Order: sequence, then C-alpha cells, then structure tokens
Amino acid sequence: MSDKQNQRLVKEAQDAVLQQYTRRHFLKDGAMGFGALALGSLMGSCIGNTAATSLFDPANPLAPRAPQFPGKAKSVIYIHMAGAPSQLELFSYKPELAKLDGLDCPQSLLEGKKFAFIRGVPKMLGPQAVFRQRGESGLWLSDNLPHLATVIDDIAMLNAVTTDQFNHAPAQLLMQTGSARMGRPSIGAWVTYGMGSENKNLPGFVVLTSGGNNPDAGKSVWGSGFLPSVYQGVQCRSEGDPVLFLKDPSGMDRDLRRASIDAINKVNQEQYAEYQDPEILSRISQYEMAYKMQISVPDVMNINDEPAYIHEMYGTQPGKTSFANNVLLARKLVEKGVRFVQLFDWGWDTHGDSEGNAVDIGLVNKCKKVDRPITALLKDLKQRGLLDETLVIWGQEFGRTPMQENREGKKMPFKGRDHHSAAFNMWMAGGGIKGGTSYGETDEIGYNIVSGKTEAYDIQATILNQLGFNHEKLTYQSQGRNFRLTDLSGKVITEILA
Amino acid sequence: MVFLSFSVYDFIGRFHPVLVHLPVGILLLAALFIALSTSEKFQSLKSAISISLLFGMLSAIASCISGFLLSKTDSYDESLLFKHQWFAIALAITSVIVYVLHLTNKPTKLIAVLMVVLITITGHLGGSITHGSDFLTKAFSSGTNPSGDGSGKTIVNVQEALAFTTVIKPILDSKCIACHGPTKQKGKLRLDEPSFIKQGGEGGMITLTAKGSESELLKRILLPKENKDHMPPQEKPQLSKEDVALLQWWIENGSGFDQKVKDIEQNEKIKTVLKGLESAKPKDEPLLSDIPDQIVSMGDEKAMKMLRERGVAVSAVAQKSNYLTANFVAVESFSGKDLQLLEPLKKQLIWLKLGNMPLTDEDLKTVGKLASLVKLNLQKTKITDQGISQLKNLSELQYLNLAGTSVTTKGLEALSGLKKLHKLFLFQTSITEADISGLKNIFSNATIDIGGYKVPMLQSDTVILKAPVIK
Repeated sequence: MSDKQNQRLVKEAQDAVLQQYTRRHFLKDGAMGFGALALGSLMGSCIGNTAATSLFDPANPLAPRAPQFPGKAKSVIYIHMAGAPSQLELFSYKPELAKLDGLDCPQSLLEGKKFAFIRGVPKMLGPQAVFRQRGESGLWLSDNLPHLATVIDDIAMLNAVTTDQFNHAPAQLLMQTGSARMGRPSIGAWVTYGMGSENKNLPGFVVLTSGGNNPDAGKSVWGSGFLPSVYQGVQCRSEGDPVLFLKDPSGMDRDLRRASIDAINKVNQEQYAEYQDPEILSRISQYEMAYKMQISVPDVMNINDEPAYIHEMYGTQPGKTSFANNVLLARKLVEKGVRFVQLFDWGWDTHGDSEGNAVDIGLVNKCKKVDRPITALLKDLKQRGLLDETLVIWGQEFGRTPMQENREGKKMPFKGRDHHSAAFNMWMAGGGIKGGTSYGETDEIGYNIVSGKTEAYDIQATILNQLGFNHEKLTYQSQGRNFRLTDLSGKVITEILA
Repeated sequence: MVFLSFSVYDFIGRFHPVLVHLPVGILLLAALFIALSTSEKFQSLKSAISISLLFGMLSAIASCISGFLLSKTDSYDESLLFKHQWFAIALAITSVIVYVLHLTNKPTKLIAVLMVVLITITGHLGGSITHGSDFLTKAFSSGTNPSGDGSGKTIVNVQEALAFTTVIKPILDSKCIACHGPTKQKGKLRLDEPSFIKQGGEGGMITLTAKGSESELLKRILLPKENKDHMPPQEKPQLSKEDVALLQWWIENGSGFDQKVKDIEQNEKIKTVLKGLESAKPKDEPLLSDIPDQIVSMGDEKAMKMLRERGVAVSAVAQKSNYLTANFVAVESFSGKDLQLLEPLKKQLIWLKLGNMPLTDEDLKTVGKLASLVKLNLQKTKITDQGISQLKNLSELQYLNLAGTSVTTKGLEALSGLKKLHKLFLFQTSITEADISGLKNIFSNATIDIGGYKVPMLQSDTVILKAPVIK
C-alpha cells in the first residue's frame, strides 16, 4: 500500500471515531457534566460549611498547640480504679443504710432493675466502714482512706455520678471514650490531638497499669479510635524495660539503628510522595519518637534516683510493679511535660466471692495500697507548684449496690456488693478545681441520685474545659461527620470550678 | 352570610398564609412576561401574559379576603396590619387594572412596575407581622441572642433581689413576650410590663390573682403540652421545669411586683431552684486573670521558629490570643544564648518554664527583661541571691517558682516591689517556717509555699486484714 492510501485509511478511521461523537452526544454529555459540576460545588459547599479544620499536622503531630481558650490545667493525671471500688465504704456516708443492714431489700428498689449478679431478693448491707467529717470543708470520708483525709480540702467530690452500663468493659469504655462500644478515641487521645505535647522527646499520652491485670476493656480504653494513631496512649511498664523492645538489640549499636531508621524513613517518604496518606507521616514521626525515647524514657521512668524522703512519702519500692510506683512516675512524667497520664489500677471488684474481694477485708487492704501514694501525689504536686496546673481525677466505671450480693440467689462467703450503675462517687483535684466542695446528692441509702446528676460526658466536658477546650468544639471528621468526645451530651460541672 | 358560623370564617382565614404566596409568584411572573415580551426573542411569551394576569388577579383577591378574615381572629400589631391590609387592597386593584389594560391592548408596562413595587411592600409588611419587624435586620445584629434568655447574667445574691425584676421578668421576656409583648398581643395580652400584666388579656382572662390557682396564666402553663390551650404553644420554645416552678411559686404567693425574693415564702424545692440562679452559667470562652486584658501584636515568627528548633515548646496561650507560653523542658545542652531568643518576644511571652535548666545568675539578666511575664518557673536552676534581683522589674509577675534553688530570704527582699505576686514556691530552699512571717510582710498578697509535706506513717498502714479462721 502506498503512503497515500495509508494516510487515507488513517483519516477515515479518525473520521469514523469522530462520527461516533455527534453534536447531540456532546451536548448530552456536556449537560450531564455541567450538572455534575454544579452538584459537586453545591454539595461541596454543604460539607465545607460544617467541616472543622483538623488540628492534625501530619509532619509534626505532637507539636504543642494552643487550646481554644486559656485553660487552667496543663496536664491531667487520671487514676482509674478498674473494677469499681465501693463508694459506700469510701466516700458516701449513709447512716440510714446501717439501720437496714440484714433486712430484705424492698421490692420497689428491684422492680425493673437489672444487676450483673444479684438475683431474687437480696439483703441490704450496711456500710462496712467508719466515716468522719474531715478538713475545714467537713466532707465525709471513711477511715479506709486516713491519709487522703489530710488533703480533703483540695478535693471536689462528685457524689452523684451515674452511668447506664453495669458491666466492666463497656462501662470503662464509656468513661474513657464517651461510648460503651469500641472504636472511639479515649480522653487522652483527644487531649493530645487538641494540645500536642510540650516535650518532643516523650509521648504526649502515657498509660501505666497496676494491680496485676489490664482493665477489662483492654487497650481500647487508651486507644486513638478514628484519630490518627499517633495519639493513642503509650503503655509503659514500671518494672524492667519501661517500653518493650526499646533497647538496642545486641550487636546493633545506636549508629546502626539511626542509619536503619533513616533508611526506613526515606522509603516511607517516597511512599508518602506517592500516596499522600497522612498515616505514613505519623509512622515516620513515630520512628523518630521511638529513637528519642530510647534515651528519654529510661531516664524519666527510672525512680531509683528519687531521694529517700520521696520514696517514704509515696511508699514506693523501686524495681517492683506497684500502684505507688506508677503514681510517682505520673508526677515525673507531668513534670517532664507529658500531657496526659492515665493510671489503671485493677482489683477493686469487691463482690464478696473471696477474701480479697470482701468489702471489709480485701477492699480495706487495697485502700492501704493507694491511700498513701495518692495523698503524696497531691502534696508533692502542691509543693512543686504543679497542683494548680495538673488536674488529678479519681475515676471508676461504676459504683456498688447498697445490697449484699447474692450470686445465683445464694449467700456469699464474704461481704460484697454487686455492680451498681445508678449512683457512685468520683473526685477531682488541682487544675482549677475548687477544693473542699462537693456536688450532687444521692438518697438515704445511696441507691439513686437525688440531685446534681453527673454523667461520664459531664466529667469529660469538665476535663476538656479545664484544659481550655469547649467540648462541643473539639471535633474530628470521620466517616463523613464531625465527632467529639462527648458526642451529643455533656455539660461542664461549673459548681466545682474555682 | 349570617348562617356561617364564626369558625368557618376562621377556617377560611387560616388559608391566608398559603394563598398569599400565589399572587406574589404569579403576578411577578406576569410582570416578567410583560417586560420580556417587548423583545423580539420572547414574542411567544405574549400569549401567556393574559392567563397569568388573570390567575394572579384572582389569587390576589382571594388573599385579600382570607387575610381580612384572619385579621379578625387574632390580635396583631395594629399599625402594621393597617398598612398591610391597604397595600394589599391597592395591589389587588392594580392587578385588575393591569389585566383590563392588557385585554384592551393598552400599554401596561408602567403600571406593571407599580404592581411589582406594591407586591414587595405588601409582602414585607406581611412578613413583619408574622416574623416580627426586625426579622430581616436580625441577621446583621450578630452576637446578641435574639431570644434574650438572659443566660450569662449571674445573680449575686438571689435572696436580696427583687422577685419580679430579677427572677420572673427574664422568664417572661425569653419565652412569652414574642407573642404577648410590644409587637404582638395574642389574646390581647401583654406581659412586658407590670401594668399590662395586671390588666390581663381578652375576655377578662385572669392573669394573676392573689390566689394562684385561679390564675389563667398558671393554669395554661401547667396544662399538658398536647392541650391546645397549653402555653407556650407546642411548636414554640417551652418553659423549663425550673421556669415553671418559679412562675408557680411567684403567682401562688400573691404575684407581688415589688417584693424581694426573701420576703416570699419558699419551700426547700424552690430554694434550690432559686439558688441555681446564682451559680454562674458556663461561659463560652472564659478569660482568666492571668492573661492580660490588653491586646498584643503577633510575636516574631522567626524568633519562635528558632526557639522551636532548639526544642523549646512555644505556643499561644489560646487560639485567638497572641500571648505566648514557653517551656524549656525538652531543651538539650541549654546555654544562655537560648534565652536571648526570647527577647524579641518579650511583649507576648507571659508564661515561662525554665525548671531544671543549668540557668545562672548571669542568665537572669535576660529573664529580667521579659517584662510581660505572669508566671515564671525557675525551680532547680543554679540561680542565687545575686541574680534574683534582676527580676525586680517584672511587675506583672503573679506566680514565681524558686523551689530547689539557693535563694534566701535576703535575696527575695529585692523583689518586694512585685505587688501582683500571689504565689511563691520555695520548696527545698534554705527558707524555713520561721522565715515565713518575715516574707509575709514583703509579699502581703502572696501565698508562700515552702513545701516539705509529709505523709506520716499510721499504725493502720502496716496492718493487713485477714478473714478470721474458724476452727
């Protein structure tokens, strides 16, 4: 075939293609296209109006950021007593309940109620502790916490906390993440997302556990949910290596580790250039953080160098896992600029099924392990000028019943109480909280709330408020809508603010 | 028409809000057709003019009739109603004229312009009657809460306050006067002033009497929400439980206008509600006294960047503030040069943490120039009495932490001019309990904390409980 023919064939083919696209096709497609464009911009404006700007800076996710308004508190130490101690033996003075000790629980209290273990008609159980009014404020406190009594005037007691969950895991999740189901970020994750951290060499959110077990809800209670994973809590151990796998493996020196991290980061950078996934940048900064933590963490997590009077004060024994050690570490971490320290102490589930779980035996012994360190913490923060800017919280997932537990309808070997979601106590101190106050009331036997109802959301809203955030405005967009810690509820408990 | 009962008029009248939109739309469309049909391109529209004018005219007349009937069923702002009514009638007549002119092929353009003007005015007046005359302008008066629920106002001592003015009036203002106030008087009732309240409403309804149970007002707010006589009407913002309790308390106790709260009998329940009025409502963005009131310019970006590179955590104290906080906690190999980076930020820097840094007396010279400082933490630094006097010009200083330094009472005397100082931390210094009274004289407004707190051993601390063993 000649060149000419060739050219003609090519032209013919081009014409044939062009003919497929008639003017009508063009207009029809064009109209659709314009429609789509218009819709896109319309929808875009809808979304654009509601989307809050994310605070997440992938290149430097933990850089310190200004809160919405100047907050009183700079850091938080949240002590969660996993298992839920009995408020009736610690904070809630109910003399009327003593008179009912051993009597059948009235039907009116049982109708329509669900309990984790109580079946049939249980007996009422009077308070198994002596209560006294303490401090200038005259707040009631049981003799199980004699040391805490000396700092009662720094504490704001919440008498009417309530939840709708009566099993440990969902109740812990509700308290820590604002939802009884998994998948939401924890308070500490929200706080570090909002404020970053002041020490670039340490994680912004550290978790320490004691009592022999992790909380029932597992690591979700310090998870980052849909927030970038850099904001999840970093669990440190108070015995052995504080963070596992932080040491250089034998035969690998620090320079080699540096070189390998550099190489990995370079690969990650290339990945990021291609996919633009912010999680890759988080990963890079986490490698950097891990490298820095090799030096900084062993240093801050080492309590051996603390003076003897501090060990005496807190009741700490270096080298062991104990609640006291964790409390001392919490103070050290806060001093080093860590934003949120979460302590979980396991073993408060006093059902009365064993000696250790009896409200008059195990609970008393357990109290001895926490009373001294917590008191020492408040005093130590105070003398270091840190109490005003550190919010300390005693939390638990729910309370315990004024009735004695009768698992499977039988008498228990020891005195114990079942899970109680309707009314329990928590307290806050420092960080702009008005000491020596109390908020909320329960009825004569501590069964139901009378006034000052306080939900998990209200506590979360208050924590954020003290740090300088309006809980309704600290949001993150996920799955097409803005989420916040308190979801649709929450009000700041202004009654306990200084 | 005698055979038609009142409720039928009422029923027809209630179609007014639906009907009014028809003449607005159709007549505007007709005017548009008239205007467009002058152009060659839109000649085809000419044929639609007459039909749209006819329907527009009919709907205008129907709106006038229904509007007139509606105006008799309820009380509206009379001057607004008068204007709306006559403008509407003028509009209806104009639309008839346009239609007739059009049918007789006379020029209609000018009078159509008049018609459009009348539609606009009538529509606006009608809107002002239902939505309030400030409805349009409200969009510009930002910041003010249109319902004016008085939140944010705090009563210092509720018992000493006037019951009507401080407790009752805010409730009426926020939930009632939109319909029973200066702009609207539904049921001929006004609740914005004591004189009107005493006067009562239509048909001699008793608003308030000495015996509260006969009060129509109380009766209506206590009716179940579903009842048609319930107030505020179901679709309007409702009274809170506390509002109802307060109104009931005030009415049942004689509804006096000049009594103080403490002079009116109170049961326990109402006491707590009243007390609740005292506590401050959560403010949106509280400002603390440790942030200066003055507005400050933005800090030097370059200086902040250099500080960050040195590991100093510098950030604004709040999102909308230019005031800065700086924390040296993560700085490695600190030197006096790092402090000099702070100097360009001396107007903005109000909180500074230098704790545990090898800071010397020499370095305090730079710190002494940071004149805006409100909080300064120097704990466990190497400063002595020699250097501390450099801080004497930090007149804004409220918080000073010198724990773990070798500063003594003598050195502190140099700071006696710091009148705003109200927290001084001296833990682990040579200063003892005995020195405190002397320091109190120097820093009369400050709480001085020398720490050294102990948690003494108690006998019970070492006792471990065990269950009794029964043999």
